[in-house]
Amino acid sequence: MSVIRPDSIRTLPNRVIPALGLLALALVWLLDFGTIQPNRIVSGTGHGLLSAVGWAGAVGVTGSLSACVVLSVLPMRQRYGMLLGLVGLSLAMLPLLLDVFATRHLPEGSPYARSSIGPGFWCLLFLLSLMMIEILGRLRADRWLQFLLLAVIVGSWLVLFRSDGLESLSLVREYNARPDAFAQALRAHLALAFGAVGIGAGLAFVLALKMIRSPAWQRPILGAVSFLQTIPSLAVFGLLIAPLSALSSAFPLLQSLGIRGIGWTPALLALIAYSLLPMVRNTFVAITDVPEHLVDAGRGMGMTERQLFFQVKLPLALPVMIEGVRITTIQAIGLTAVAALIGAGGFGSFIFQGLGQAAMDLVLLGALPTIALALLADALLTMLAASLRPTPATA
Amino acid sequence: MIELKNVTRRFGDAVAVDNINLTIETGEVCVLVGSSGCGKSTTLRMINRLLPRSSGEILVDGEDIATMNPQQLRLNMGYVIQGTGLFPHWTVAHNIAMVPRLLKWPKERIDARVEELMTLLDLDPATHAGKYPQQLSGGQAQRVGVARALAADPNILLMDEPFGALDAITRENLQLEMLRIQQQVRKTTVFVTHDIDEALKLATRIAVMDQGRILQHDTPESILRRPASGFVENLVGKQDRGLKLMSLRPVRDLMTRHGSPKPSETGTEGVREDDNLRLALSIMLWQDLPQVAVFNAQGQETGVISRERIIQEGT
Repeated sequence: MSVIRPDSIRTLPNRVIPALGLLALALVWLLDFGTIQPNRIVSGTGHGLLSAVGWAGAVGVTGSLSACVVLSVLPMRQRYGMLLGLVGLSLAMLPLLLDVFATRHLPEGSPYARSSIGPGFWCLLFLLSLMMIEILGRLRADRWLQFLLLAVIVGSWLVLFRSDGLESLSLVREYNARPDAFAQALRAHLALAFGAVGIGAGLAFVLALKMIRSPAWQRPILGAVSFLQTIPSLAVFGLLIAPLSALSSAFPLLQSLGIRGIGWTPALLALIAYSLLPMVRNTFVAITDVPEHLVDAGRGMGMTERQLFFQVKLPLALPVMIEGVRITTIQAIGLTAVAALIGAGGFGSFIFQGLGQAAMDLVLLGALPTIALALLADALLTMLAASLRPTPATA
Repeated sequence: MIELKNVTRRFGDAVAVDNINLTIETGEVCVLVGSSGCGKSTTLRMINRLLPRSSGEILVDGEDIATMNPQQLRLNMGYVIQGTGLFPHWTVAHNIAMVPRLLKWPKERIDARVEELMTLLDLDPATHAGKYPQQLSGGQAQRVGVARALAADPNILLMDEPFGALDAITRENLQLEMLRIQQQVRKTTVFVTHDIDEALKLATRIAVMDQGRILQHDTPESILRRPASGFVENLVGKQDRGLKLMSLRPVRDLMTRHGSPKPSETGTEGVREDDNLRLALSIMLWQDLPQVAVFNAQGQETGVISRERIIQEGT
């Protein structure tokens, strides 16, 4: 037993938040906060914090960060609550700084000029998010508070980005140039990633069951799915083109279903192949790791094998199986971006277009939503797995 | 009644249970005792068909269990194992209700039964029903394990070292609890343990096993008085057999009764009628008394018991 009472832990000085806060202060002053470009291709001129957002903005940023550092070392019991408010508000208001930057520096009457986000801003966003994670951990905040906070911050960003002030932001410009393509890419990305994970999960479940029922199949199945995992993703995409083309030209029915050598079919097949290893392995390990004495108790008290599987083994294995689904989902969202190379669509198409045109903002328009989707899927599946864990270990 | 006739179980070339014959009468507690690997658990697990037997016959109430559906057979046999085997994703109430649920009892009947059993095992339904097994102490968890085994009121109770993982005090409490419950419900019980004191305390009859064979099957008193072989004699302990015998007999047997029960004076030292002779002797030796008062369950003084008489007639 620890002799430190919980409330005294709460008043001990925190070390993480001052470190993050001071680092943020240094970086936000040292690095460019934003850039102004006369048009899409020409590289722009950078502006430091003071030049970018003026005295008022610089004081605001410096003040909030310093307040966080000071608050975190003060021996007060309510400080984590106050820090939560302060950091949350800062995160929610961040786009406002970009708005100020654009109105201060964008030349009047030049429709091609655009503002873009500099490394200083990215660092500020990243470090504030880390501080938020630390605060939530200290507060032992429950899931709903975390969710509410996320909703408030994202909501405020959406509102700010829809306002006129940020129209000049290059990222917004790129989006405004192709809102339909963006929606289309989002749909394609989600359909491919989740379709592959869904089909893969079903297939992995069947394979894992086969391995449990007949141990002779364990090595071949694990060997095959491991082998699939080792082929580089681009190679799989490429390898599938020839056989699928041959198939679809041989059977016109397949062609009418949209199955061709390029497009979504090879992408989906490759994504499924990649999703198998983590899910087969986790499902197999989770089910075989159910303690023997529990199986013995269930069987000894008169459960049939079917009841034993659905009432005991499966529920106990579920958190680990979902962990497999979580890993696979994150991996599939990332890989789907690469699948754009063979014409599967999704956010990857923006990334490759942007690379082709040397337009970094278009690359970001593809990359940022991919990252956001992966983070969101990670958070949701972690929550799901946590809610399915039997119980806390102690009361 | 459970009858084992010429039952053998082999694992490959090894013989775990070697041609044993054993009859367990209805309502008695048969304790299988022996060191690990002697075949006692294997014997128990053949009775509910968790292990198939290699040869021989096992009859429950005259019917060969090989002809029965194994699930039906097991649903009518409570099963308690070491380390409880409680399901961690189910609450205490849900765990206890397991077999009634498998038998598709109506919900009200299950709820009433769960409450009844928790009360029987001294677990407060209000505080414990909604807890999960990890939130219980070892003793509480094993009480839940016993309650779960008794849930559908089976005729037979199989217990495989149920108290083996508990500390000495908790184990002692649960043993007393089991004696009390057994007096109320009278289940035909097969109990496996390696602890000879536990066997002597709980058993109607003890079967001592070694290397897959039953060396002796008799009452605790006969096992102590007339051990069939050197192995059994060693197991029960050559030296302190006298004291062990004393612990089998209640004070009631050797007390000198008063004409009529007297109300007790507060502060009088004494023993109760159903305490054992060993305890009474120990109290007298420690306090250096020639005799000590005996009380009945209502707390009235019903007589005295003397040191002299225990030493002369106690064994």
